[in-house]
Amino acid sequence: MTEPNGSNERASGAYTRRQVMKGALGTGAALGLAPLLAACGGGSSSSSSGSAAGGSITIGSFQDPSMVPFHQQFLPKFTAATGIQAHYNETSYNAWYQNSKNDGLNKTGAYDIYVMDDNWVPEYAAGGIIQSLDKLGLKVNPDILEKGLDQGYWPPRSGARMKAFANDAPQLYALVIIDDVEILYYNKDYFSKTPVTWDDIYAVAKTTKPPLYGWTARGVKGNPIMQTYLPLLNAYGGHFANDDWSPGFAGPEGVGALERLFSFIPYMPPGVASFDTTEETPVMLQGHATAMTEYTGTAHQVDDPQYSKVVGKIDFAATPKQVISGPAIGTFICGISSGAKNTAGAVKFLEWFTSEKVQKEFAGVGSAAVTGTALRDPALGKKYRWLPAIADAVDNSIPKPRTPDEPQMENILGTQLNEALVEAIGQKSGYTQIAQSHLTTAANQITAYLKQQGGYF
Amino acid sequence: MRARLPRIGLYATLIAVLVIAAFPFWWMLDESLKQPVDIFSGVTLYPHHPTLTNYSQLFNSYHFGAYLENSILIVTMTVAISLVLGTLAAYSLARFNLRFGLNQSSLVVALLVRMIPGILLVIPLYLMLAKWGLLNTRIGLVIIYTGINTSFVIWMMQSFLAEIPRDIEEAAMVDGDSRLSALRRVVLPLAAPGLAATAIFSVIATYNDFLIALSLTSTPAAQTVPVGVSTLIGKIQIQIGPMAAAGVIGALPIVIFALIVQRHFVRGLTLGAVK
Amino acid sequence: MAQATVKRRRVRAARAQLPGGPYLLLVPALVALALVSLYPLYYGIRASVTHYLYGRDFGSAGLENYRRVYHDPYFHQAMWTTGKYVLVVVTCETVLGLGLALLVSREIRFASPIRVGLILPMTIAPVVVGVMWRLMYDSGIGVTDPLFQAFGFKAPEVLASNTSAFIGVCIVDIWEWTPLIFLIVLAGLQSLPQEPLEAARVDGAGRVRLFFDHTLPLLAPVLLVAIVLRTIDAIGTFDQIYVLTGGGPGVSTQLISIYAYNTAFLFSQYGLAAAMLISLLAMVMLLMIAAVRLMKRVAV
Repeated sequence: MTEPNGSNERASGAYTRRQVMKGALGTGAALGLAPLLAACGGGSSSSSSGSAAGGSITIGSFQDPSMVPFHQQFLPKFTAATGIQAHYNETSYNAWYQNSKNDGLNKTGAYDIYVMDDNWVPEYAAGGIIQSLDKLGLKVNPDILEKGLDQGYWPPRSGARMKAFANDAPQLYALVIIDDVEILYYNKDYFSKTPVTWDDIYAVAKTTKPPLYGWTARGVKGNPIMQTYLPLLNAYGGHFANDDWSPGFAGPEGVGALERLFSFIPYMPPGVASFDTTEETPVMLQGHATAMTEYTGTAHQVDDPQYSKVVGKIDFAATPKQVISGPAIGTFICGISSGAKNTAGAVKFLEWFTSEKVQKEFAGVGSAAVTGTALRDPALGKKYRWLPAIADAVDNSIPKPRTPDEPQMENILGTQLNEALVEAIGQKSGYTQIAQSHLTTAANQITAYLKQQGGYF
Repeated sequence: MRARLPRIGLYATLIAVLVIAAFPFWWMLDESLKQPVDIFSGVTLYPHHPTLTNYSQLFNSYHFGAYLENSILIVTMTVAISLVLGTLAAYSLARFNLRFGLNQSSLVVALLVRMIPGILLVIPLYLMLAKWGLLNTRIGLVIIYTGINTSFVIWMMQSFLAEIPRDIEEAAMVDGDSRLSALRRVVLPLAAPGLAATAIFSVIATYNDFLIALSLTSTPAAQTVPVGVSTLIGKIQIQIGPMAAAGVIGALPIVIFALIVQRHFVRGLTLGAVK
Repeated sequence: MAQATVKRRRVRAARAQLPGGPYLLLVPALVALALVSLYPLYYGIRASVTHYLYGRDFGSAGLENYRRVYHDPYFHQAMWTTGKYVLVVVTCETVLGLGLALLVSREIRFASPIRVGLILPMTIAPVVVGVMWRLMYDSGIGVTDPLFQAFGFKAPEVLASNTSAFIGVCIVDIWEWTPLIFLIVLAGLQSLPQEPLEAARVDGAGRVRLFFDHTLPLLAPVLLVAIVLRTIDAIGTFDQIYVLTGGGPGVSTQLISIYAYNTAFLFSQYGLAAAMLISLLAMVMLLMIAAVRLMKRVAV
């Protein structure tokens, strides 16, 4: 007969716990407890910036092999040189695009410097996510390659401009830190001399038989296949966008460039339509392809036996010509957050990193430095064969249209290109017609989209 | 003899299914033990030059220890809290006829919470946590996950509790138990398989969440395993080796947890048979 | 007689210990749910009628976002693809999961390692699942092409053409999430009351009859919960497809989640994305209310 009492106690015990929990999750968390919890949470963005004045900066980035020497060697050097602590966080590309934008739009202040892809600059500058470096008084090293530096201006110094910004004086909003650009990788075993035109690449391609391929490329829809198509389009004299924002790829130049891509179909790995860099570059590094166009991030790997079976065999050049050589440029570029807690420290870092001495050291580990003297240093060029090719490619490079709507334009054209490639691989004929119809569709969709957004025509 | 033949068929089917279920896992383990150059050399069923570099890289240059610690702490707290909250609510829904059509509408509301797409959640949740100063904290994630998790705990437990005959707990209460102690002493043990399945499901869903953790955290102080894994997807390239290693290491806590709770599936069976 | 009255009184006494009890039990859970849903829903609905340009709020857009979404052929395509995807994967997963649970619920050797082995696919983060399957499908180093060739078929190059890519992403989902249905159904089977089944067996019902006439109806509520939860998650599938195909080739695997994600975060059209997702939510909600109704009918 004692049992009921015992269980009564158990019951009321459970009851109190439940009420406590309810309190903690409900009003407690919303009103009183929050600051307390934040203090206990540790590592929150607000608490990390509290150290001595001018004492630290926080840099955020997407993950990329090119960033490894940057944060592992050069951030400690910066601290040693200036006494300013440099914190570094990286996430995946898409995540960082989203997180940095959230941070800057809401002025959360978790970061001082955003490492960005250069086509984010219009959106970040026009949207007030980053600050004008001119206004902050940043001194630019005049030796920085001009085409690389140009990527940081808003509104752009050349090319098409959105109407709302037609009369604004260009200001520097972001500073290039890695001159990433597309270059030609070719295997010396198959080329007796440096290939100069797409015809040279094709002539060698025609002699290949699986498992050796004449070209490896990225075919995934959207941004990846655009990186394959842009150097071709530019070389054939077409334009992603003309100066009046009309599409410049649906004419004979653009169609010719795409037909050239199709002409490689028999000499590209099967499944190329689903290739991104992850699948594309190993074909080259395993020695199964004679040539490819790709950004400089892979250059580090060609002589590293951990990644490559063709050590010492790959050479580099600016992307091939037809009418002209027109590599696509995609620099790593730094902006200072409008919520930055230490703008002075951030400015100091950017000036320090782009200074001649540091750039020489940066090129000295094989990285795509941003100054002409560092990239064209003869001794370094011998050791790292890609450095002079990078300088040439940057000088010839053609930027993507400078507008916050560029990612959507790229997506529209990149989706049509991928559909066209899949169709061409399936049919193995009628290439002109396939190219023409998909490029026209893309041109119409892009024009309709820009009209809807407003501010272009 | 007649009994044995279907038995063989049964085991053959199970083995085939197990191979299909486990092969990609084995493949991942295989890739995780290779150098990049070997990963792309072609298909092998085991690593010819095994190396642990991918694993050491994870812990030395990618803060994987911190991600694991965060994930395990966050998941444990979340699942514990949401199991309690959700089971109590589910019991109420399964056993009582509530007014205002609450039985059905609560279920619909719980479902609605589960249905809100992550893409819609992340920005408002970011603003909420920013206001409370809980961005990039474990507590912040625990609060959010508890809410999301509770919704399907309610759903699952509601259906499992409804399966258990009322007479059993009525009998316990006649013997002097209160509602809550009858729930704990009699009903929950009977619902153990359901509770175990719910726990495994909650653990997996919380542990693998990506979009929310991604938006609400920014440093290894609070980032979880999937966010850490995604760090291996770069601007242009995926770090395959470390990614495979991360898959293996990341799966371990869940496999261990599953091994621990899976005996409850058996206990449920025997209890059911005894009664 | 007297004893029965005492018993009844005690039962009543036990209930009295919970003043308003059933409602109080609900409160904490509902508070937790409200915490993560009320503000986001309000925010989402407001965003769907707001005009955003480059991430900035430019005031009310009325129903303009909805109008644009309903006239957007890619939205229709994404809804259609999502519908197809959910139908295919949930059906396959239910059939396979149910079958496996029935097999494993019988008394077999090595039951526990088999159970854990079968849920292995679920334990891997979806991002990793996506990357691993992308490699397995790869034409250079993958396993699917050699496997097909070994049986004398043409190498499928799974992710490089529209139909095979769609089938490919479905297979990944089925591989990863059949274990979920399996697990829930197994738990349901284990706590099923045995008497009615025994009785039917004694009456000489065959295995198939036994399953369809007795086991399945008893299992129906749990099975429905599994299907409902799985359907909701399938509608939101994102990580693995994003890594596997990014929605390609063309738009053949572009689910609504991928399209909305790109619209919101890549193209900074948050209002449009919100309008898509709120429309989706409304549609799915109606579907699910129907499911709850059905469940209530089955349960009674």
